[in-house]
Amino acid sequence: MSTFTERAEVHLGTPGVAAVNTGARRLAAMRQAAVDEYPQMDAMRDRARSIRLHTLQNLGRYLEQLAERVADLGGHVFWANDGDEVGKYVADVARERGAKAIVKSKSMVTEEIELNDMLESAGLDVVETDLGEFIVQLADDRPSHIIAPILHKTRHEVGELFATQLGTPYTDEPTELNAIARRHLREIFLRADMGISGVNFAVAETGSICTVTNEGNGRLTTTAPRTHVAIMGMERVVPTIADLAVMLEVLARSGTGQRLSVYTNIMTGARRSGDPDGPDEFHLVIVDNGRSNVLGGVAAEILGCIRCGACLNVCPVYRSAGGHVYGTTYSGPVGAVLTPALAGLDEWHDLPSASSLCGACKEVCPIRLDIPEMLLALRAEATAAGYDRSAVRRALKMYARAATRPAAFRAMLKAGGLAGKLRRSSDGWITSLPWLGSGWTNHRDFPSPASRPFFERWRDRDGR
Amino acid sequence: MEGETFLVRVRSAAAGGHVPLAGVIEAEPSATEVSASDLMADFITNLEATGGEVHLPATEAGAIAMVVDVAEHNRGRFLAWDESQLPLPGLPEAIAQAGLERMSANVPEDPEARLDHQAGYSAVQVGVTGATAGLAESGSIVLEAGPGRPRMASLIPLAHIALLDRRSVFASLSHWMAQDPGAVTRTSNLIVITGPSRTADIEQSLTLGVHGPRYLHVVLLPETSEAG
Repeated sequence: MSTFTERAEVHLGTPGVAAVNTGARRLAAMRQAAVDEYPQMDAMRDRARSIRLHTLQNLGRYLEQLAERVADLGGHVFWANDGDEVGKYVADVARERGAKAIVKSKSMVTEEIELNDMLESAGLDVVETDLGEFIVQLADDRPSHIIAPILHKTRHEVGELFATQLGTPYTDEPTELNAIARRHLREIFLRADMGISGVNFAVAETGSICTVTNEGNGRLTTTAPRTHVAIMGMERVVPTIADLAVMLEVLARSGTGQRLSVYTNIMTGARRSGDPDGPDEFHLVIVDNGRSNVLGGVAAEILGCIRCGACLNVCPVYRSAGGHVYGTTYSGPVGAVLTPALAGLDEWHDLPSASSLCGACKEVCPIRLDIPEMLLALRAEATAAGYDRSAVRRALKMYARAATRPAAFRAMLKAGGLAGKLRRSSDGWITSLPWLGSGWTNHRDFPSPASRPFFERWRDRDGR
Repeated sequence: MEGETFLVRVRSAAAGGHVPLAGVIEAEPSATEVSASDLMADFITNLEATGGEVHLPATEAGAIAMVVDVAEHNRGRFLAWDESQLPLPGLPEAIAQAGLERMSANVPEDPEARLDHQAGYSAVQVGVTGATAGLAESGSIVLEAGPGRPRMASLIPLAHIALLDRRSVFASLSHWMAQDPGAVTRTSNLIVITGPSRTADIEQSLTLGVHGPRYLHVVLLPETSEAG
């Protein structure tokens, strides 16, 4: 497993990351415009936060209620402790029904557990149908953004991909590329035996699930095939329909700056007697896969996340380094918390440090999740557990020793004055520090110290 | 029940007290009174902003003519809600007379027959549906599936035409849900549609009609339509 900094070395400065930066800034501006024109936003965020936290505190009760309602409606509920159990369940359902062709709409939890790989090894055909995810699948790539999976790809890359993989004439016109995907996927939809969707929200009081999409592939996935399997991380539940309405008010505005996404799709069981179409059977898979560990730990609050992606778009680290450096499905500030919380600090102890703690994420989060506080808590856990952050620790210890002894501190600042001799970028930042400092400047620039330290200027200020 | 161990684990994790307490929430801000004509004006502006089109016929005959006109521009097969579920009598027949072939929207339960039936959907160009409500704030329409109300009619065609009673426009989604709390459970599928299908996945270049309809027409029916 590579480290964050190793991955950053690969990605920094690439055209893909530049495209992510442009795209993220645009999404952030769209969110801002939508929030500016909606005076109730702050009040709605308070409500949304309160609903999410209340639900997490009482998660067992609401999951039980949800499962009972789904069963009342004739649906099947499967409790999956981990990803392998999801894969086995879905493959079994497919096998029992003779289903071969599966269409899938965008779902982060299925990316997290790498469901497609499991289904493909069970001999099933799985086609991603969200345009971005379809392209990711064709290119054997990974999503670089929670809601905009191919933010890192150019139209030329997509054009060449379609030409080689689908055999269509090369074009880099997005309208034509979309039309090619529509035609290609339409045939697959109408012949599919099973549809797998994610769940944006499940409603405990009614047994409904809600998906929020713009393209319509989510609706096709849950309408055309005779079997619908919805897969949800266990935290996706809200208590009531009124709570759902609050979530919907903040989700699209935060994600894409829309007041509502094009299709807000609320499904309550399979098709009923007399319904002309819709799936004949409905399965709800409720996934833990590390979530109960998160709920019982220092980053429990992150389970309130509604996956709008707003924190990615404002994060200076995400913007400069892109989504792939986070190493998993979840990128940006939410990923830096969620991945180590879900999968353990053993493998992911460097992710909580991939943040400047500037707080921009918390400022835009529709649930007001305290991401910086959780990052600090995870860093503390990582240090307490003895994971290697020794260079940082040594540097900070030396700083502490110097800073508490006036003479040593003055000497250190004098040495800082010598920084004039260090290599600088055109805008005056130091690009290379010696010894312990190189740990910083290998991957980042360092601000130049003032030519005279503050304490000298204070001592010599006017009138003294 | 099944899931017992799962739920025990969840309850014990939640009991750890790691989820912060939520602050006290003030009472729901009361919705400001908006006149019906303002709601209608907002609905139209916001629907058009999403790329949808609004039609305001003066009579039922005018409404039928407008729908037929849209259908004629998108020749092919069409799907429609049953006549009993549409507020405009004689509409499917009028479209058929304009030369479009109506396809049955009843999907068989037999798996093979289902796929055979759905293969015919490739040629569907027009879908005609009713709508339960319009939402002014977002320019959305709300549709309920049910007997005689196929979901595919608002999903598979190139052009979706929805008929909406002018008196059924509400301020916002939460406002409508509060007015009609039973709506979610009385149908297997409640869909809130806000403009034509869209994507901006490729270089954030906006394209309409990627999987769902490229055109969304909302016909606001004259108030005379149910006066009798």
